[in-house]
Amino acid sequence: MANNLRLYLTCIRNTLEAAMCLQNFPCQEVERHNKPEVELKTSTELLLNPVLICRNEAEKCLVETSINSIRVSVKVKQADELENILAKKFLRFLSMRAEAFQVLRRKPVQGYDISFLITNYHCEDMHKHRLVDFIVQFLEDIDKEISELRLSVNTRGRLVATEFLKQFI
Amino acid sequence: MPAVEVHQLAQCITCHAWSPDRTMVALCPNNAEVHIYKFTMDKWERVHVLFKHDQIISGIDWSLRSNKIVTASHDRNSYVWNHEGSEWVPTLVILRLNRAALCVQWSPKENKFAVGSGAKTVCICYYEPENNWWVSKLIRKRHDSSVTSVAWHPDNIFLATTSTDGKCRVFSTFIKGVDTKDSGTSSSRDLKFGEQIVQLDLSSSWSFGVKWSPSGNTLAYAGHNSTVYFVEDVRNSPSAHNVAYRNLPLRDLLFVSERMVIGVGFDCNPMVFTKDDTGLWSFAKFLEERKTAQSNSKYGSQFSEAFGKLYGQSRHGANDGVDSLRARGIAHENTITCIIPLQKEGDKIVRRFSSSGLDGKVVIWELDYNTDIPE
Repeated sequence: MANNLRLYLTCIRNTLEAAMCLQNFPCQEVERHNKPEVELKTSTELLLNPVLICRNEAEKCLVETSINSIRVSVKVKQADELENILAKKFLRFLSMRAEAFQVLRRKPVQGYDISFLITNYHCEDMHKHRLVDFIVQFLEDIDKEISELRLSVNTRGRLVATEFLKQFI
Repeated sequence: MPAVEVHQLAQCITCHAWSPDRTMVALCPNNAEVHIYKFTMDKWERVHVLFKHDQIISGIDWSLRSNKIVTASHDRNSYVWNHEGSEWVPTLVILRLNRAALCVQWSPKENKFAVGSGAKTVCICYYEPENNWWVSKLIRKRHDSSVTSVAWHPDNIFLATTSTDGKCRVFSTFIKGVDTKDSGTSSSRDLKFGEQIVQLDLSSSWSFGVKWSPSGNTLAYAGHNSTVYFVEDVRNSPSAHNVAYRNLPLRDLLFVSERMVIGVGFDCNPMVFTKDDTGLWSFAKFLEERKTAQSNSKYGSQFSEAFGKLYGQSRHGANDGVDSLRARGIAHENTITCIIPLQKEGDKIVRRFSSSGLDGKVVIWELDYNTDIPE
């Protein structure tokens, strides 16, 4: 793997390790509620400064932290229109099945392709280092997956074209 | 190894407290119940379940002399449990809160207790015999955010609080009719209820786990920016000393002696801070020595595997994850949220203490008699 990508992922991993220090925290504004503060943003003192990690203009990762939840938003590389469509369709497919992934957000944050929302309940149920592993692995594989999809689309296109043009021979 | 006993008592523990004779432990398994376990015949047996709250319990404290348990919960209520016959009977506490209660502690004389809340207030509760309930007096309009922990000064009057606004404050809690004039030091009895003695604005982030040293001279609390703050001589001329360390933030602290503090938190391994002869605090070591961490790069890089990992790890975690943690030799596998002293009455130095965390374990630690603990 390119050295460049390794550094990007290591940076994200370290940021997540440090940011994922969550605890159960009931809502200060509404009685008997317990909501992810990073989504509500009602009390500014419960939010930490967001961290933006950029590999280049097209690829970036935004980590927003609050006392009981953390939101990780990712923009993946889209070199051309085909990749753009593939990424959009593929990530939409994943987002629609957000329940199955538990930490996936149903809708990405504006300006990003996919978002994760990790709350203190996830940290109670699962091991923290595995959550971090999952996200880093996801980022690592999403690029690979999209280039593979792109290759297979191209191959298929070529095959279809060949088959189609055979009748004119 | 300083960890002498590891007991897996629940899936996840929010807080725990020990009975006066240290044979029973009350803990909240991350829901609205309090379970009391007793150690009999080589195993822990659940002897009581206290069920009265309807939301998660955030604080438990068991009084040493009067054998009462006080619980605080996110459902805005608090109960004092009395052991009558074979049952624990709850007594209502009129907290007058409209947000969650977050922490609770008995005062040293056990005639009052303090409840910190998400309503940015602190309730000081005392018993009213004519009505058979506990009533509260509120310290209002002092905190700018939720109160995360409270700690009583040994003189039974001063109360230290930490809050998510990053500040640590000390209040006088003198209540007429409850505290007598001769209690406390000469200077503390002139102060009115709720008067702020000092406000420490040292941390730039949330603060947690405030504690007084056994003599009440030193105050320590942890900031979420991986710093521990030690404040000496709080009453007259406070002098602060910040200790920044390179690991994850702490959640709770414990004074082992006047010059040694144990901190627990997100790093899953208790940390030791000591004060040297010149009066400077510093990070000494981890309580449990960390062996070289294994690299977790053995799995393949297939997409499906990443997904499978997430499915597989839910709840208990897949086998290899737990194994790799065991190999590191750490008693706790998740954040430690609570540390409680287990010393005998009259002991100056806390040699034994227990910790509980989100991994559902109660770990009892014992400091080696060979290791030198500065008094």
